[in-house]
Amino acid sequence: MRRWPLPAAQATFGASKRKRKQMRLGFNFTLGDTYDMAQRLMAEGHIDYCEFLIDNFFCVDPDELAKAFDCPIGLHIMYSKFLEADRPTLVDFAARLKDYIDALNPIYVSDHILRFSHEGRAFFHLGEIDYSAEYEFVRDKVLEWQDIVGQRIHFENYPSIMDGGVEAPAFFERLMKDTGAGVLFDASNAVCSHRNCGTPFDAWRNVIAAAQHFHVAGYRQSLIEPFISLDTHAEQLAPDTLDFLANFRSVFDKPGATMTYERDDQIEFDAIVADLKLLRNLFGQPQEGRHDLAVSA
Amino acid sequence: MTLLSLPSRIDRDLYPALMSPELNAKYPTDHKAFVRIDVSLRIYWHTLFDICPELLELSGPDGMSIFRPFMAWAGEKKLAFDWSYYLWVYVWLRQSQFKDRLLADGKYLRSIMAASAARWAILDRGRSRGIVIGCADTTDLVIGWKCRSVRVGREIELIEPEEPLPAPSDIFGYFTLPAFELNVFPGWQGLAR
Repeated sequence: MRRWPLPAAQATFGASKRKRKQMRLGFNFTLGDTYDMAQRLMAEGHIDYCEFLIDNFFCVDPDELAKAFDCPIGLHIMYSKFLEADRPTLVDFAARLKDYIDALNPIYVSDHILRFSHEGRAFFHLGEIDYSAEYEFVRDKVLEWQDIVGQRIHFENYPSIMDGGVEAPAFFERLMKDTGAGVLFDASNAVCSHRNCGTPFDAWRNVIAAAQHFHVAGYRQSLIEPFISLDTHAEQLAPDTLDFLANFRSVFDKPGATMTYERDDQIEFDAIVADLKLLRNLFGQPQEGRHDLAVSA
Repeated sequence: MTLLSLPSRIDRDLYPALMSPELNAKYPTDHKAFVRIDVSLRIYWHTLFDICPELLELSGPDGMSIFRPFMAWAGEKKLAFDWSYYLWVYVWLRQSQFKDRLLADGKYLRSIMAASAARWAILDRGRSRGIVIGCADTTDLVIGWKCRSVRVGREIELIEPEEPLPAPSDIFGYFTLPAFELNVFPGWQGLAR
């Protein structure tokens, strides 16, 4: 099976100090009812690209989707279930995905490493894997899934709750090395993991340094004690999330870097713009144009 | 925090409990594992009652006289909790203390069929465009359509056919549509568990 080589931007990371501000901001587009808002965010310069939750749109003509936004596009997969699905199902899923990759020439393709079910019964709150016991299984599945799709895939980290989540940074570091996969590093998921199981931010340093594509969103506390933090995509960015980004700003920012602001509930334009402005202030206006981002794809 | 004799270091230790109120009760309430399981169970609850709030008229405002026994029954049957989640709730209600009130008003069935059609349209990643759900308790059909345009979300339709289709052999049946039109009746498929 093919191990996907690192792109040049990552292979050379850390070789020189960059002065240019390069982080592009994006918004997650998951369904048609936020279409006008996403267009407005783009028109007013709050975002530089859009991330499609692509398998929600598998019945939309790829050319229609390609014409829907005049900006670079990232493709985020929700329900490939590549750890659980059989090969024929994955081959069929990938065949449809490729139509969108061909039509949209995305900046990146990303997916999730998590459990959708247990003994054939679906979780409604998705499950975290066992990073120690399942490494070889996940590694082989990642290699197979990238091979079927025919390109490098960036896998998102989980907003860990239980203590085993502290093993996630080393797991993703090893996975990148062994498979050539990327990490779609979700900063607020790392904040949840820090709050819930004490995963040190610094443990993610190498993962962040090697990652080009990022997510960020709000989280909230559980309704009962002892409180845990839940990745909800429905609140404003939390102060500790912004502190984390500020403290690691130079590790996040790099050529071709993207950060998607996710909002799936309580979708209010002014509140979203307020958060995007905080991110812009933190990272600065990118000094390369949209064209450069499309070329880097 | 109470010391816990059950394994709870990793999420995987809790997988069976994430869909079981009975197993959740075995964890001390001041332990993170209890809260993690509670978070999971609340989503099953909200998935049911936020989408079908009429059911709270049967159960009372906390929904627990439906939710707890249904989840226990679903555990015994090893239900997959796929798009047909709501339909199985109806199957359970039909054999419960709520049966008479359930059957006396068609709004419960319509709400449940629409919820399951919508869930199929949200979750299914096969090539079918739509699903038609039928029920032995009504001649009405409910159709769920996947997102067909970048500007339009999923759509749910209630159909009252002039010439009713034959009733499914079980309480519910379904068939899927390869295109965005209802022009075939390939026969009913039964619900998978």
